[in-house]
Amino acid sequence: MRWLHAEWTKLRTLPSTWWLLGSTVLLTVAVGAAAASSLTTGVCPSPDACHEDTVKLSLTGVWLGQATCLVLGVLSMGSEYGTGTVRTTLSAMPQRRRLLAAKAAVLALLTAATGAVAITAALWTAHLVLPVESPTLRATAGSVLILTLVALLGLALATLLRDTAAAATLGLGLLYVVPLLADLLGSPVWQHRLNRWTPMPAALSIQATRDLDRLPIAPWPGLGVLAAYAAGLLVAGGVAFGLRDA
Amino acid sequence: MTTPTRTPYRSRLHPARAGFGRLLHAEWTKFRTVRAWPVVLGVAVVAVVLVCRLGASGSSTSGGGPVTLGPGGERVVDVFRFTHRPLTGDGSVTVRVTGLRSADGKGIEPWAKAGVIVKQNLDEGSRYAAVVATPAHGIRMQWNFTHDTAGSASDIATTPHWLRLTRSGQHLTGYESADGRTWSKIEDVRLPGLPRTVQVGLLAATPAHNNVHRAFSGTSETYGGGTVTATYDRLALRGDSTATAWKSTDVGGPGPNGPAPNGPAPQDAQPGRTDVSPSGTYTLTGRGDIAPALDGPDMVQMSFQGVFVGVLFMVALGTLFVTGEYKRGLIRTTFTATPARLKVLAAKTTVIAAVTFTTGLLATAVGFSLAQRVLRHNGFAPPEFPDLSLLENPALRAVVGSAALLSLVAVLALGVAAVLRNSAGTIATVVALVILPQILSFAFPLPAAQWLLRVTPAAAFAIQQGVTRYPQVKVNCLPESGCYPLSPWNGFAVLAAYAAAALLLAAWRLRRRDA
Amino acid sequence: MSDATIEVLDLRKRFGRTLAVDGLSFRVEPGTVTGFVGPNGAGKSTTMRALLGLDAPDEGAALIGGRPYHALRTPLLEVGALLDAAALHPARRGRDHLRWLAHSHGLPAGRVDEVLQQVGMETAARRRAGGYSLGMRQRLGLAAALLGDPPVLLLDEPVNGLDPEGIQWMRTLLRTLAAEGRAVLVSSHLMSELEDTADHLVVIGRGRLIADTAVSDLLAAASGDRVRLRTDARTQAMELLTAQGATVAVTGRDTLTVTGLQARRIVELLNAADVPFAEVGAHRATLEEAYMELTRDAVEFTASAGIDEVAS
Repeated sequence: MRWLHAEWTKLRTLPSTWWLLGSTVLLTVAVGAAAASSLTTGVCPSPDACHEDTVKLSLTGVWLGQATCLVLGVLSMGSEYGTGTVRTTLSAMPQRRRLLAAKAAVLALLTAATGAVAITAALWTAHLVLPVESPTLRATAGSVLILTLVALLGLALATLLRDTAAAATLGLGLLYVVPLLADLLGSPVWQHRLNRWTPMPAALSIQATRDLDRLPIAPWPGLGVLAAYAAGLLVAGGVAFGLRDA
Repeated sequence: MTTPTRTPYRSRLHPARAGFGRLLHAEWTKFRTVRAWPVVLGVAVVAVVLVCRLGASGSSTSGGGPVTLGPGGERVVDVFRFTHRPLTGDGSVTVRVTGLRSADGKGIEPWAKAGVIVKQNLDEGSRYAAVVATPAHGIRMQWNFTHDTAGSASDIATTPHWLRLTRSGQHLTGYESADGRTWSKIEDVRLPGLPRTVQVGLLAATPAHNNVHRAFSGTSETYGGGTVTATYDRLALRGDSTATAWKSTDVGGPGPNGPAPNGPAPQDAQPGRTDVSPSGTYTLTGRGDIAPALDGPDMVQMSFQGVFVGVLFMVALGTLFVTGEYKRGLIRTTFTATPARLKVLAAKTTVIAAVTFTTGLLATAVGFSLAQRVLRHNGFAPPEFPDLSLLENPALRAVVGSAALLSLVAVLALGVAAVLRNSAGTIATVVALVILPQILSFAFPLPAAQWLLRVTPAAAFAIQQGVTRYPQVKVNCLPESGCYPLSPWNGFAVLAAYAAAALLLAAWRLRRRDA
Repeated sequence: MSDATIEVLDLRKRFGRTLAVDGLSFRVEPGTVTGFVGPNGAGKSTTMRALLGLDAPDEGAALIGGRPYHALRTPLLEVGALLDAAALHPARRGRDHLRWLAHSHGLPAGRVDEVLQQVGMETAARRRAGGYSLGMRQRLGLAAALLGDPPVLLLDEPVNGLDPEGIQWMRTLLRTLAAEGRAVLVSSHLMSELEDTADHLVVIGRGRLIADTAVSDLLAAASGDRVRLRTDARTQAMELLTAQGATVAVTGRDTLTVTGLQARRIVELLNAADVPFAEVGAHRATLEEAYMELTRDAVEFTASAGIDEVAS
């Protein structure tokens, strides 16, 4: 409990934390609203007559919001290495895995809370411009989980690489460039594989509310792929953190 | 003050002027002495080349379909209803177009055509010049598939319009007139290689309907061959003709008196019709188009998938070159050595631009060549996909342009880094600006997607397009098939504008004096 | 006017609501080591950053050889500065750090090796700076300051992190540099670090000048005309000297401190009155004492108004 409190104080007192959380909410809502308003009421007169997945459309902002969450996760560990604070931290809390667990827990709680605000606000805003179907709990909670898991992914990468820039670049590559290549790939087999097994396209299937049979991977297993990446890297980061000199 | 004043110290060193060249040298030394940075560049080259090659290996084509090549060697469509007579030597053909309407009850295509044409012979892809009336683009003079000049904006749906085409040696001149008395010239063109005897006459053609509706749930494309009916009267041919009667042919299609179609006829091909009334009214019904073919895959663009990966490395380098100094306060040493801060910014920009362009060029040239080999192997073969020389456009532009794109992305990152002074924030901002619009454009409704690819730095990827687009051909520009709404250089200019804006902002921040 | 001077003229610099430097003026002459002393947050670093063109003064001027820093065409040849020894890229070798600085002024490559030898870093400079100790960073920072062989040196806390041997080395080096005719400004928050190094002192507190004085004058003033007297006949001596108009304080079981009489006069008086004494000598204050006396007011003021203390 004391450790959680210490980590909370550390995260809370970084000014970048609040900037990033604020941007997460702002970007998620703004992009969602922009995406929703790209549909005219002529195309979508009512939720039933609309052949769009309006819920998924309103949650488009997660694509951008995840970038700020990733950076938040990266900085929660990367800034300690960058400034050398990690040595102070480790002398105060020498059990490294417990330390990492405390960091992860605080980060997860904070991003989940922010994510909940962002997702609720995004759905509500989109509702103002478009007749959005009532969102399923899965799409809503799933989107919050995506943001949380991406932040943990950032924490894991920063712990493994001990460098902010490297972790941010690798994380963004994983989130953005891999799906882009998957989309452009000429081979449908590989396209399908990449869409199933890379974190972002797989996880975003949780937002779908219709045409579920056409998804490359079912919603919950899709989110599971992202969770597996985050958890796997976090465990690897924990092992490396425990073995290496600070 | 009681301390005695001594003779001031005089250095043995010769005063050296700290010129801009020196500054570049200093920044270059800074770049190459942090071992990770040259290593990142090397890894970037390998990654770009590998992904270019892998990306190409995923694409294959069965190929071997019928291919029509125009006089310039480009792929063309040359299918239309032709009512013609041979003309030997100089002469002219004049007609009044009285109508052009859809023959199958669907809406008429904006680029449907009715008018007069002078053509080398009845073969697909042979040389021609034509003056045509279109439903949405007025009167045009077009020749040899890729050329197009606009005449007046007359609408033949409401008012009949006179068209005339004159041959004099190799020169063909198009005229139009509203009343058949006052004529205005549209264009005078030279068609070298036109034989002494050519076919002249009337044409009717319409491109196929091709409409795309795209939304999050998927893309639906409706594609169907339409037919149009063009009506004419007052047809007059001046000059020597060996035939006295008008004959009709479906160029590039089946027909009782047309040439044997090149390969199997399409399923929906209907022979055209020509009716002549005793009063001298000609009614032609036909389909097809006389235009460059733009529907095939873009073999140039398919060879540059690795550039997306390269962007990541360039963003990291551009960012670290600046934030690495802010993080440790090294920037103060830099500004102490060179108090002119804008010069420092300029030197840093020059060094990072030069370094990333050079390595980028190596990566894109090798990546492109490897990808081309793979594509050849996968069935992208001439004549449908002609060989692309690295030293000629569009390949040259795409290779050099992609390297310049990578370089500009690094400069953009450098500028943003000098404003934000934080590496993670800068990297996320620039990657989101350059890469994210691409991903979103695959999913957004088409107008929104094209807007994104116009206003974000992602527009610059247009520089990789190998297909020349012509205004006289309507194309559905789908981002997922590698089409960008802006022309190559305009798209590139968007990225350049972003980079310039970031640098200006950085300069403004640096000039505020406290470092 | 000579080239090698440092001048601060009525300098004012404000950061938000706090006044970091408030009307500071002083001048550093060639051939002297001037200590720039004040408690933490007194405005030393701000002044140095203003001299180096890193912070723009709100009012007044900070000049090197009569010119503002940004007007210098080849700054490294005119001023050498050591601001923050930690300002190194950890992945760059020490030698390469000096090389880029040399390249920015077109200095010959041999100059890098010369200064590395001068600070005793020839071997260590081949390693990456990430592994340097604080002392090695200070030496490398000093090498960077000396690179352009400048007539003016600005060193911010240069002995920070040095071992006793290093401190001794630094003192000798600073004295040598000043003896060559350079103007050397050395900041410190510990007066004891400047003992035996500085000729002149500029003492500031809360951004204002407290003293601008030669070290010898300061010590004399702090010592006053006090004389220390050791005698077993304390009462006798006190009566005798008080009668002659001196002020006498008892500072020990057998020691007295006498103010108002020269030592020689005291010896004469004691001899004449046949009062036995063991020792008569001038009281010599340490620089630390002198400094404490000087800054007492400033420090008390700081403590009472500690809320808007400036971190510089």
